Amino acid sequence: MSVSLILVPLAISAVVAAHASRTGKDGAGRLICHVQTRMRDRALLAEALRYTGADVTVLDDALVANWEGVRATFQRDDDGVWTAHLEGFVDDQRAVEIVTAVDAGYGRLVQGAVLNRLRERAPAAGLRLESESMGADASVSLVFAVEDRV
Amino acid sequence: MVAHIEVTVGPDGVVSARTHGLLGERCLDYIAVLEDLLEARTASSEYTDDYTRTHEQASVAQEVRDVDRH
Repeated sequence: MSVSLILVPLAISAVVAAHASRTGKDGAGRLICHVQTRMRDRALLAEALRYTGADVTVLDDALVANWEGVRATFQRDDDGVWTAHLEGFVDDQRAVEIVTAVDAGYGRLVQGAVLNRLRERAPAAGLRLESESMGADASVSLVFAVEDRV
Repeated sequence: MVAHIEVTVGPDGVVSARTHGLLGERCLDYIAVLEDLLEARTASSEYTDDYTRTHEQASVAQEVRDVDRH
């Protein structure tokens, strides 16, 4: 029997893509856009934010990112997934664009972390790396020979 | 034949994996191995041609044994 699988790293939630969940106003009447993300890992999120040029402040229960004219505060929901609250020169569309750009960097960081983990741990699980290749879409494929240990 | 597992990690971090040449139910053992290695959970799974072929072979073998008994 052989099987084909789709696996989602724990650093990623099941949410498919960033989307604006609601829009509100603060006490001064300024627009605040709330964007649900799929990101779960604090360190990778902070790194992804820095890749976009943000000035990042890490707090106990939040991450604050400042770009020119836009401020985003990320807070975890009950499932441990980060939601972004953006204010400044931003509307729903721009808010989703910003979070999508952060998410793209986050995805690449998760990809790198998963590949490193695979290369390091696979031999102990009886998997011998035979080949590695990169696809046109920047995906990376590794082929392992199965040594009979499981 | 040496069995293989092909793992593809997308730029969005999502992983697809496919076993080749793992006959019988051995391939199912590797779902847990991959989840552990990748620190991931399985979002979907489906059996490949090898699954059907293996079961067809098993079914034919069973029929032969049944015929032998008559």
